[in-house]
Amino acid sequence: MDNHFDVIGSVLPKKDGIAKVTGKEIYASDVELPDMMHAVVLRSTVAHAEIKSIDTSEAEAMGAICLVPDDVPQVYYNERIVSIPEKTYRDRLVLPRKVRHYGEAIAAVAAETEEEAFAAMQKIKVEYKELPFYTDPLEANKPGAAPIYESVFLGENKFDVVNNVACERNITVGIFNCCPTCGTRFDYSCRLDEYHCGCGIVYTPAEDDGKAFDNAEVILEKEYDLSRVYHAQMETKSAVCRPEPEGGFTLWTTTQSIHNVRILLGEIFSIPLNKINVKRVALGGGFGSSIQMNSITPICTALALKARRPVKLVSSREEDMYDHHKYPAKFKFKIGATKDGKIVAGHLTVIVGIGGHNVQAYPLLGCMAGWYASLYKFPNLKFEGTAVYTNQAPCCAMQGYGNPQVNFAVESTIDMLAEELGMDPIELRLKNYVGLGDEFWGQGPTVKSTIKSCGVEEMLERGSKMIDWYERPQPGSGDGNVLRGVGLARGFHTSGTGGPKPGEVIDYSSASVKINEDGSVDIMTPIMDHGGGTWDAAVKIVSELLKVPYEMVSLSPTDTRTTGYDVNTHATRGVYCGCGAAYHVALKVKQELLTVAGQFLEEHPHDLDLIMDKESGQGVIVTKGLDCKRMTVGEVAAKARVLSMGTIAATGSYRQKNCPPCFVTNFVEVEVDKRTGQIRVVKSVTLGDCGTTINPDMLEGQLVGGLNRGIGYSTLEEASYDPKTGKLNCEGFYDSYKMTTAVEMPPLNKIETGFASTYEPTGPFGAKGLGEAAVNSIASAIANAVYNATGVRFTKLPITPAEVVAALKAKDEGRI
Amino acid sequence: METHQIELTVNGRRRSVNVKPNELLINVLRNDLHLTGTKYGCGIGECGACTVLLEGKPVLACLILAASANGATITTIEGIGAEKLDPVQEAFIDHGAIQCGFCTPGMVVTAKALLDENPQPTEAEIKDYIRGNVCRCTGYTGIIKAVQSCGCGGEHKKVTAKKQP
Ligand code: FES
Ligand code: FES
Repeated sequence: MDNHFDVIGSVLPKKDGIAKVTGKEIYASDVELPDMMHAVVLRSTVAHAEIKSIDTSEAEAMGAICLVPDDVPQVYYNERIVSIPEKTYRDRLVLPRKVRHYGEAIAAVAAETEEEAFAAMQKIKVEYKELPFYTDPLEANKPGAAPIYESVFLGENKFDVVNNVACERNITVGIFNCCPTCGTRFDYSCRLDEYHCGCGIVYTPAEDDGKAFDNAEVILEKEYDLSRVYHAQMETKSAVCRPEPEGGFTLWTTTQSIHNVRILLGEIFSIPLNKINVKRVALGGGFGSSIQMNSITPICTALALKARRPVKLVSSREEDMYDHHKYPAKFKFKIGATKDGKIVAGHLTVIVGIGGHNVQAYPLLGCMAGWYASLYKFPNLKFEGTAVYTNQAPCCAMQGYGNPQVNFAVESTIDMLAEELGMDPIELRLKNYVGLGDEFWGQGPTVKSTIKSCGVEEMLERGSKMIDWYERPQPGSGDGNVLRGVGLARGFHTSGTGGPKPGEVIDYSSASVKINEDGSVDIMTPIMDHGGGTWDAAVKIVSELLKVPYEMVSLSPTDTRTTGYDVNTHATRGVYCGCGAAYHVALKVKQELLTVAGQFLEEHPHDLDLIMDKESGQGVIVTKGLDCKRMTVGEVAAKARVLSMGTIAATGSYRQKNCPPCFVTNFVEVEVDKRTGQIRVVKSVTLGDCGTTINPDMLEGQLVGGLNRGIGYSTLEEASYDPKTGKLNCEGFYDSYKMTTAVEMPPLNKIETGFASTYEPTGPFGAKGLGEAAVNSIASAIANAVYNATGVRFTKLPITPAEVVAALKAKDEGRI
Repeated sequence: METHQIELTVNGRRRSVNVKPNELLINVLRNDLHLTGTKYGCGIGECGACTVLLEGKPVLACLILAASANGATITTIEGIGAEKLDPVQEAFIDHGAIQCGFCTPGMVVTAKALLDENPQPTEAEIKDYIRGNVCRCTGYTGIIKAVQSCGCGGEHKKVTAKKQP
């Protein structure tokens, strides 16, 4: 570690550690208020239906406050307001008049206790007119399928929904979509059977592909099927809302963005933003499930406003499991390369079943295109993405935002291509990867920046040694009942969504920093921490910059009324963007501190410097080089107070103008039991490239946590639906939705992690993100290892024991 | 529904509560006694977030009827390290065993119970013991290391089921 840092890169006690180990940390579901009512939600028992009537008379006779569609503002909203308004699709109301998935909230009840609310809710009578429903996007997309929506809004414009398509994206690079005669690019936003060029030529997509793949000596075409998965964050979505005497309300809720919740609720309820206060509380896991305002949040707010009393609403686990899932994806991927392993062209097609609401599949498709375009250099690249409404829980981001899905398709195919070419998979990757100086698509086609730090080569080389890559078995060469194999995949994620020019995604953050009169420091930030260490990074960055010891720097409790805007803790932007803002504000504070100290010490501020004096536990201002005059930060702040000179503090907003990729490399060793079909990860080597490691221990925690969820994604997890009932097969129960426990993890001494020695010039102290990257290529590495072990290629996730047994039997019998 | 008065000794304090026959211990702890460190994660005994010690043994408060605990001694997370952090809690902080922290109270209580039963558990024994506690964030290795670090004898103090005189 660089020894010029005093706190960056040091392992220090997590600031919220004591509160969390003693059970004192307050999450939204722990908030209790005087005179508080408890609420429950009535959820649909059918998958697709018009609501003909809702009768709440009996519930109301029991003294309950009921909320039905007629009680809520008729404002169509999208719960995720990270994109610019023109690119935001709006299709939902606080309570719908039509049910679009099983378990959708249709009414809510508040009473003195949760039990009374539940009893009243059971008395509500709902009459449905049932409609055909779809749990498969291919079925929903067929002409003649029952429409899940007639029309929805894009920005301010209403448009008709055709064949249940929520949105499409078609993105090309190189000679794809260019007229073969005159070269003009065809711009189109939906899939076409023919392109008609102005020059008169009619041109088909097949001819287009033919031309782009013309120079390819090897072409592979593969299909992949990635499952719908439940986030399973430990805290179920919760909200507590208290109406305030002067109008407006205060809200404690599960969210990754207090400011976006505030803005949305202001719009929906037509309440000025200075009358809405959203408190920052601890988040019991996010993984993307709370990027958007959760559906229960406006319901709880509406109930509290109607009851004129505080209301608490905590989702049950079953309700939570019907609230949001990760996007499933069906891919077709065609790749062409020359014999010496240069990629010539790629064509990726994806169809995504997004569920009953469009929680912004448009940026998802853009991001999928970007992850694909940024893995390898495709001189000719085509992406065609279609998001289709289905009658399932709405999908939203989950760690990686389309990246694990795309990575699985590309990294599996790259392995197959290497085998086809007779080339080592590492060599093929090194020949084609997008690295230093190349363009990186951090958030789809409108948010790009040039890569300025890259540890890909270093990590592939180091990792290959750590796993004995070149000693791995030949695919499928093992015998006996337990087959061993080694696999690799590489991936990345973006750090934030900033580019040189703002694109379709909003990205900036705010912070305030103030020096107290004893030399301690308070940071006021609106950023949320999923637990990965974003808050600790903010403290370390400010501590390092002001040279005030870590113990003397704290985060103040904040809310939306006391902080400037922050878009969201998503897109792995917490450290790079959120803490980037704290860094830039602390720089201003440093300037002011040196100016004030200069007056006291009778020195020019340029001739002063800050050092950390760990013995006295103070930051100290000294004359540069000489250290002959000195004052502690506390002495300067105290004197400034006594002389009525003011508080040394600053506030500001900051936008990062890059989106540097944080790279990862995953090597895994698996054992596949032929008899049981069980896949065990027995060793993992994960290397990450996050620039300067601000919290080394917590970064390791990110990599290992990602490994755990990646094992679940590849071998266990699936929020599958019963096509006959429209219900989840697990019915929302934790005992049926299989996840990884401690037992599925490799032994401690077989989990190795490490970091590339890189420095991101645009990041705070050289740092970029890491969080989401930790999961993106795990499933791909596991599938590649399973192939190495068995000689069978699995292209569908999760790879279940039954499928393994069947496939290995088929292989032994010579059927595949 | 009629209520019954029950007596509990929670974290060394004698408490009496009126409960309905079907009331669950988790709700009594969280709502009546305001001990919100005990978390709700599933309500069906599958996640371990609600783990408390009943007469020194780990139980899932979401599966226990409060009435059936009448007269019992209960330790919740608030009763562990209330004055000075317990070595297990210190170890959780030192070994990266905490991320979002929502599973942490249940994990700490479970870890205490394990160390009470088996002061020097092996890695496999730790994994097996905590397999009923879901942690979605950490990947468990920090938790396992934390428990292991307490298992070298001496450091860990047994939670004794103290009853008030
Ligand atoms: S809440 Fe009791 S085990 Fe999950
Ligand atoms: S730390 Fe988040 S669930 Fe364990």
